[in-house]
Amino acid sequence: MELFNSILTVAFLTQVFRLMTPYYLGASAANFSERGGVINIAIEGFMILSAFSFAMFNILTHNIPLAIFLALIINVVFALLYSVFTVKLKINQIVTGVGFNILIAGLTKFLMMIIFHSSSNTERFEGIPDNELIGKIPLVGAILSDYIVLFALILIFLSNFILFKTTFGLRLRSVGENPEAAESLGIKVRRYKVYGILISGFLAALGGIWLASEQKSFSDGMIAGRGYIALAAMIIGKWKPVNIFFASLIFAFFEALQISIQISGVPIPSQLIQMLPYLITILVLIGLIGKTKPPAADGVPY
Amino acid sequence: MYAVEFENITKSFGLLTVNDKVTFGVKENSVHCLLGENGAGKSTLMKILFGSYKQDSGTIKIRGKEVKFKSPLDAIDEKIGMLYQHFMLIDEFTIWENVVLGNEMNAGMKLDYKKIKYRLNEIIEIYNLGLDINKKICDISISQEQKVELLKLLYRNSDILIFDEPTAVLSPVEVNEFFKIIEKFKADGKTIIFITHKLNEVKELADRVSILRKGQLVYETDKADIDVQKLGKEIIGNVEVAESPAKISPNEENKKSFIELKDVTLIKDKVKVLDDITIDIRRYEIHGICGVEGNGQQELVDVILQFEKNISGTVMMKDERVSIVPDDRYKRGMIKEFTVGENLILKKPSEGLISKRTVDTASQYIMKKYDVRAPSAETPIGSLSGGNQQKAIIAREIEMQQNTMIFYHPTRGVDINATAFIHSEIVSLRNAGKAILLVSSDLDELLKLSDRLSVMHKGRLIKTFDETELSSGNRNNLLEQIGKLMIGIH
Repeated sequence: MELFNSILTVAFLTQVFRLMTPYYLGASAANFSERGGVINIAIEGFMILSAFSFAMFNILTHNIPLAIFLALIINVVFALLYSVFTVKLKINQIVTGVGFNILIAGLTKFLMMIIFHSSSNTERFEGIPDNELIGKIPLVGAILSDYIVLFALILIFLSNFILFKTTFGLRLRSVGENPEAAESLGIKVRRYKVYGILISGFLAALGGIWLASEQKSFSDGMIAGRGYIALAAMIIGKWKPVNIFFASLIFAFFEALQISIQISGVPIPSQLIQMLPYLITILVLIGLIGKTKPPAADGVPY
Repeated sequence: MYAVEFENITKSFGLLTVNDKVTFGVKENSVHCLLGENGAGKSTLMKILFGSYKQDSGTIKIRGKEVKFKSPLDAIDEKIGMLYQHFMLIDEFTIWENVVLGNEMNAGMKLDYKKIKYRLNEIIEIYNLGLDINKKICDISISQEQKVELLKLLYRNSDILIFDEPTAVLSPVEVNEFFKIIEKFKADGKTIIFITHKLNEVKELADRVSILRKGQLVYETDKADIDVQKLGKEIIGNVEVAESPAKISPNEENKKSFIELKDVTLIKDKVKVLDDITIDIRRYEIHGICGVEGNGQQELVDVILQFEKNISGTVMMKDERVSIVPDDRYKRGMIKEFTVGENLILKKPSEGLISKRTVDTASQYIMKKYDVRAPSAETPIGSLSGGNQQKAIIAREIEMQQNTMIFYHPTRGVDINATAFIHSEIVSLRNAGKAILLVSSDLDELLKLSDRLSVMHKGRLIKTFDETELSSGNRNNLLEQIGKLMIGIH
């Protein structure tokens, strides 16, 4: 009962929306890439990379906006690299993605050793401050005062608008569905694929930055598979921005629940509770969602 | 004034010359039919005109001006439009999204849906296309998909239109509709280059005809002098076309049913796709099924093949296995990346290991017997011409020696020679006592081959013509009656 009461609080809901943010950003990132026909399982790697670069520049410069900016730039450069491999050189996208994930995990550890003389975590730093004005709004202020959470919520409408109401979105989707048809109408297929991947790198970076800022340090393994869960959220959300948001919310809800249960001291093994989000994924996939259908030319090099 | 002039166009692929000094002009505001066998060089010539290929020598003039196209985009800029045989559409997109893609109308950052809707509905109304621009491609019929392709051309203001066998996928009623659209195009001053295998269409539409044979222009004529017999001869040259053997009529008691369906109903997504079907398929008989595409033919075939099991009613079959020549060979008949030999033995019962030698001997025997022209049994089947692919599949199915055979659009997209061959094979099989179901949308084919003919409409068999009804009476009256039945008018 105590647990039940704790779920029905504003604090709990705030927690859910905050935890939703990295999932939703990661899932949207993957979605922009896949809408253009490129599978991007390197979301995990991109989030690690941005979390690390944000932490590093933040510690070195004590300038948060600059650290955010540089972390974004680095991620977009890596995304560009990813597009060189997958679009220009047409290397298998799964192999490239796995390669990026392993490379980035190793690279960040290596750099941590060199710069911070520890392979497990950096020193602590200042996180991104909240917007105090928005924070004063009752109830929702606690959620919306965080810039990146706010952006993630705006992104629901923004990505829907971009994908379905603009020329850019129409062309991006055409490239992911039927590149031959798109090309026959004069669309530069590869260029749009690259755009999709770059947006992907940018959005995944915001997710990583948020996690690092939240933890106020970078530690090895801190992304903890969120990039992969984001991919699951994209699939459950059937590649549609609004649905992806709800899928991310489900994952966030169970993550928050798990934290609440652990704090409340209910005698359930925490490992069992940590399984919940994953178990739910499978059940939801089997039962509620039915068959999901990716863009027709998803994963096919062109 | 010529809209298009070909002057000495030559194009070779390796040692094979597919266009050999082709010279002719297409008059502005006319329908110009381009005829020839598969592989005669029509499609290559059109691809050169459209900028997909580049000629080795020779020049092309558009409206009197010499052009050098680097890609189809240059051709589109010159207001040339191509209606491909295989549609270039995105299944998951709506009609309007498919049409505007690449030439979008914008209002600021946004697609200007209002303007797009207005413009498209205007064109749809003028040409009577009857399309709902918010429907997705995966939810519309093939003939509607073709209209979407037309809409794409019209939206881009194309005025030289290349149609590559546009009627191959249409039923007779739809063909008439299509011809009306073409007449409207002409009335609006557009120029149409029309590729077809169907000579009666040429007679009806063409202002001028050019025939290619083995890459060379061999015959040209104007509307007034079109003689269908003569055209047929010029297309194939001095080659004999296989004559179908005469049908032999066995005693009535020999005409046993091999397949009997009784009161079969099949419901899919709450729609009765088969509605109370009763039909029997007897030996020594070709039972024709005609109907507009999508009226239950596919489902009827699937019930017989036992792909559809949730049916009410009874199905009696003499044999478990039935041979099928499917309508879409790419989806259901062959694996196009596999070799000819591999495709030929694909349906053989497994004998453990496959030895290369047995595959080779078996396939060489089949290829020779059925005149499947391929460099070798090891050529990927996808690289053969459509006619040869179809012959290979038909050969495989015949060699399985089942008692019952289904032919589903057996000659779609196949040239005159191969069609004659396939027809003669089907009649021979019938004479040998097989029970044959022939599903087609080609009325000429159905009337030529069928012993009985049933018309399907909205999942129902609304009429079955027996032998006497088919052989007696005026052919044109019969055609008209069937045409009406196909769209549901009794």
